[in-house]
Amino acid sequence: MKKGLILLVLVILITGSLLGCQPEAPLEQTSNPPSSPSKLDSINTAGKIMVGTSADYPPYESVDESGKYIGFDIELMAAIAEGMGVKLEWVDMPFDSLIAAVQENKIDLSISCFNYSEERDQQVDFSEAYYTSKDAFLVAKGFSGTIAKPEDVVTLKVGVQSGTVQDDWLTSNLIDTGLLKEENLSRYERVDQAALDLQAGRVDVLMLDEVPAKNLVSQYEGFNIVLSAELSTGPLNIVLPDGDVALKAEIDKQIKALQDSGKIEELAQKYFSE
Amino acid sequence: MDVANFIKYILQGTVYTLGVTAVALPSGLILGTLFALLAVYGGKTLKQVMSLYSTVMRGIPPIVLLLILYFVMSGEINLSPFWAGSISLGIISSAYQMEIVRGAILSVSAGQMMAARAIGLTRMQAIINIILPQTLRNAIAPWSNEAAIIIKDSSLVYALGVPEILRRAQLIGASSGSYLPAYLTAALIYFALVFASGRLLGLLEKKLEIPANP
Repeated sequence: MKKGLILLVLVILITGSLLGCQPEAPLEQTSNPPSSPSKLDSINTAGKIMVGTSADYPPYESVDESGKYIGFDIELMAAIAEGMGVKLEWVDMPFDSLIAAVQENKIDLSISCFNYSEERDQQVDFSEAYYTSKDAFLVAKGFSGTIAKPEDVVTLKVGVQSGTVQDDWLTSNLIDTGLLKEENLSRYERVDQAALDLQAGRVDVLMLDEVPAKNLVSQYEGFNIVLSAELSTGPLNIVLPDGDVALKAEIDKQIKALQDSGKIEELAQKYFSE
Repeated sequence: MDVANFIKYILQGTVYTLGVTAVALPSGLILGTLFALLAVYGGKTLKQVMSLYSTVMRGIPPIVLLLILYFVMSGEINLSPFWAGSISLGIISSAYQMEIVRGAILSVSAGQMMAARAIGLTRMQAIINIILPQTLRNAIAPWSNEAAIIIKDSSLVYALGVPEILRRAQLIGASSGSYLPAYLTAALIYFALVFASGRLLGLLEKKLEIPANP
């Protein structure tokens, strides 16, 4: 019995030290940016850039039936890679995994309808904004209440995609302040699961980005956007490795060029106009 | 959307599902058999270590070990998502397979070992030639259960971005808006895989049956 206990403590200590020592290496690197090589060098050497996205969020990013990636972010990133003169390789991952993948160098950067947030900024860097979006409150057929302002949802069952800026906004503005009860907020891993629950009446209202909300309106009969506002969202940014100044400068340069040439406006017209 | 393309897109994920299973199941069997032998024939300390390993590994949800191995531990090793996923599932499965094999070893009557030693075999020879062949025969039935679990758990590697059946169903569902057909297609493929593997192992069990057994 005693031996078993000692053994258990040993194993915990060993695994603890294993887990503990690994994450420190990348942190040290990022705290001394001059000594850490920029991703830009390895991207140019390899001649390709590995970009992560969660391809389940049309019209920003999705796949067609042949498995080809399509959408606003996808075409935008293709234009950026073209401007950099490198090949583009897509890596699909669940949204929740993307930031960790950038941090752990599994991918070079990520474009997946990310909004800047202070919390995320501590873990990764952000490019300049490439587009500005809004939040939407979406209801299904038969909804009888009124939502004139965001706080009106506190008497309802609310759904949101977990890990999104909308989730953060609801949590800090309505849950933490006690206005909305925790049990009345359902967090979904994916937006389409949320949409199915909205249709089934398990939640009354969904808070999500306006563009995918419009997309759901066209997919589901009776869905309706009752309120649009710039609450949690705003500018969309590309997620970059923390402290990589050279890569950020290059990406920002490409975004600026695409804004100036009118390419981004053209893509927004193509994907977002009803 | 074209129905044939829709199904074809999801079906292509089967390669990854089978790949993950093909790595995880045999590696789990090899590790599991080794650990089971240590647990039964090892000394007091080894027995305790093995019992701890089994308890800890069976207590961790596969997805947690998967994320740890891929995002935390593989900073320098840089395992691909496919290998990180397959190895994690193999490690977890080794704990379950260890218990399967351990039970099967204990079900071989103690007289077998005594008889083997009496005719002059060493302990090692007895284990390899007498105990293990009977053990693995007995293990096939519970093992087909483990095979089914691995095939289904392989869907977890989607969290690392491996485009297997479930992830493909999610993606094509999102782009077409037809979630139910997408998930149903995925369910059917999983069912077909599990059913086929069960049948195959059933045949194997019959073939390896000791003829004298009624």
